[in-house]
Amino acid sequence: MSNAIITHDLKKTYGKRTVVHDLHLRVPQGCVYGFLGPNGSGKSTTMKMLLSLVRPTAGEVHVLGRPMRRSTRRELLGEIGSLIEAPPAYGHLTGAENMRLVRHLLDLDQGQVQRAVQTVRLQDHLDKRVREYSLGMRQRLGIAMALAREPRVLILDEPTNGLDPAGIEEVRDLLTRLAARGITVMVSSHLLGEIDRTASVLGILAGGRMLFQGTREQLFSRSTPDVLVDTPEPERATTLAGRWNAVRDGDRVRVPGLDHAATAHLVDRLVHERIPVHGVRREEQSLEDVFMDLTGGRGL
Amino acid sequence: MTGRVVVAEFAKMRRLRTLPVLAVMVVGVVAFSSLTFTAPGFLDAVDDPDARPWQWLLGGPALAVALISPLLLAIVAGRQIDIEHQGNGWFLSQTSGVTAGGLCRAKFVATGSLVAGATLAQSALVAALGWAVGISVDFPTGQWLGHTASVLVINLVLLALHILLSARVPNQLVSLGVGVLGTFVALTGTGLPPWIGHLLPPWSYYGLAIPVDLTEVGVVDLDPHHPSVIVLGVVGGAVFLALTRLFDRQEAR
Repeated sequence: MSNAIITHDLKKTYGKRTVVHDLHLRVPQGCVYGFLGPNGSGKSTTMKMLLSLVRPTAGEVHVLGRPMRRSTRRELLGEIGSLIEAPPAYGHLTGAENMRLVRHLLDLDQGQVQRAVQTVRLQDHLDKRVREYSLGMRQRLGIAMALAREPRVLILDEPTNGLDPAGIEEVRDLLTRLAARGITVMVSSHLLGEIDRTASVLGILAGGRMLFQGTREQLFSRSTPDVLVDTPEPERATTLAGRWNAVRDGDRVRVPGLDHAATAHLVDRLVHERIPVHGVRREEQSLEDVFMDLTGGRGL
Repeated sequence: MTGRVVVAEFAKMRRLRTLPVLAVMVVGVVAFSSLTFTAPGFLDAVDDPDARPWQWLLGGPALAVALISPLLLAIVAGRQIDIEHQGNGWFLSQTSGVTAGGLCRAKFVATGSLVAGATLAQSALVAALGWAVGISVDFPTGQWLGHTASVLVINLVLLALHILLSARVPNQLVSLGVGVLGTFVALTGTGLPPWIGHLLPPWSYYGLAIPVDLTEVGVVDLDPHHPSVIVLGVVGGAVFLALTRLFDRQEAR
């Protein structure tokens, strides 16, 4: 699968503070790429650099195979829809007037605008002034504005911010539908739950550094869940497995960081010492736990 | 693209009351100038070349523009810029390939064309009122057009200044406050010696453009500082272009 967005050693420094460190982004074409990180981790700055709204201190950005530079910016932006921070819309104008403005600015036809509005299901609210819109409606209008140019890449910065659960679900559903149409969607969030079920590829940023980038499965495979040993003699088993930092966890023993060989060795030792073993399994890990591991407990 | 951006600016003016504000400017100047008709002896002198009724009438708008324009131009510029701050419009433009500086230039062209229209309209309406009340002596075309052109240049420079200020400082009360102070400077400038009038551009230039003075002995021709106004226009235009080019290179906030 080729990549719609690639960055090489992307870096942004403000004064002495580096907010993005040597970032190597790889956003595959046609996927939903979840860009996760705590607030202040550098997600918005990175997205602004992708759109050439912020100049990188070092490094390069390639979008759809072409370098994003001042000279190519205008042409490339024609293929990128974006929603950065608050949804852009003029409150004194109606939804329809805002869409007409976008249509005029980008030289689009009426069909493109109509399709964008229908995609976000806003067609029944276009005659209202935007200042009377709910946050969810504003968000949908912002996405419609981004979609109107029928982009190949869509960059959305925290599109579910401030939305109620129904609104979040609606945005999730929308992103999935867009990706199914072949649009590459890069969506950022500081909340794992919002992206967990939507994104097929994840990038995790903390402190301006990429901690992980890959599929959900790859993310799980990087993490080693604790081994749980069910035994009627947890005290003896914990003492025996002390060299593996085992701890007693109720009626069982929890052993962190064991690979397959070490697990086999532990079981062998328990059996050798005649400690009854009723079960050995790895703990079920949620994505949240994996993130907590990756971000050193700061979570997302 | 530039033409599209300018047309978009006109579309954004909907419900911003830009035209009513400019209409107030026109009506205010015309109404203030009409007070001349109530001056003792004016209506008796409409056909007396020695009384110079046109010059007498021209003294009205010369003072009225200094009183009315600074604040209303601040309002027009502030409203057109504030919608970008409120609606995240800077991002919308930038992601549409229009830089912040380009957007400011488009706003200047759009609002400037209306301000130019309003300035010409107020001048023409005052002249029309002069004919309507029966002034029959020769119309001082050069003097009248010279003053109109000077006011036009000063108005546009002031508009450009407020566009820059409003774009730079999101709190529009600052721009309005400068407009109020500007009104004070403009009015004070009409009574100051020309060398002081050169010190507080563009507001004090309204005083430099005044072509006549009404004294106890009658209407006295002044020597309006048209070259200074031309220099103001050239320098103001250059500074506006330079600063908006700087905006072009600035990163998104």
